[in-house]
Amino acid sequence: MLAEALEHLVRGIVDSPEDVKVSVKSNRRGETLEVRVHQDDLGRVIGRQGRTARALRTVVAALADGEPVRVDVVDTDRRR
Amino acid sequence: MSLDSTEETFTESDEERTTESSAPSRLEEEGDVAADYLEELLDIADIDGDIDIEVRNGRTYISIVADDDDPALKALVGRDGEVLEALQELTRLSVLSATENRSRLVLDITGYRAERGGDLRRIAEDAVEQVREGADRVALAPMSAYERKIVHDAVAELGFVSESEGEGSGRHIVVSAAE
Repeated sequence: MLAEALEHLVRGIVDSPEDVKVSVKSNRRGETLEVRVHQDDLGRVIGRQGRTARALRTVVAALADGEPVRVDVVDTDRRR
Repeated sequence: MSLDSTEETFTESDEERTTESSAPSRLEEEGDVAADYLEELLDIADIDGDIDIEVRNGRTYISIVADDDDPALKALVGRDGEVLEALQELTRLSVLSATENRSRLVLDITGYRAERGGDLRRIAEDAVEQVREGADRVALAPMSAYERKIVHDAVAELGFVSESEGEGSGRHIVVSAAE
């Protein structure tokens, strides 16, 4: 549910909703939701001084009901 | 006398002023986009809630309410309304993305803002009382722009002066006597 909720929240605020992908990684410390968006939407999802990314984390944490969840916005261009 | 207080609007901290083309139809569209965004979120999270849209004074007000005290809906308010602020911000961005209009919509969940508004008015009255009793200036706790606006208005109504001081998350109101 969290991944789906996050995907919806992000799709609603970008120019290319079809390029939004959220994947779930689990490890001992809990889940990490990785958000990938179109390169041109990266700024929108992060926001000024990380404000939008922070808002996304806040809402996801509230929906997670106390479970530890990380939200990472992945800059695909910088990954190799 | 109350010029200082009316100058500060919700927009000061995070948004540029929208152009004054607040045609009712634009605000209604804004409400529809926002309601869709929130409704689908509630659907996905399986949270019960009704969404009301109201346009008044050139602004769109959206409120999510439930019949009973749903803890899941309370979680979307969060401590000190933290989650509510985050969700409001995302909802405004969804309107920006869909309509290219910068939205100043106000989101409320389970009447949190309405209730907090009453608290803020009491805080304003207490501060004014202290000034009446001789305090030079009374500094209040830091608040969001929206909350400061409510306090400014309440202080001005009582015939006293309030100004915002400090930066960022430390921005707070100082109440003093009228000149």
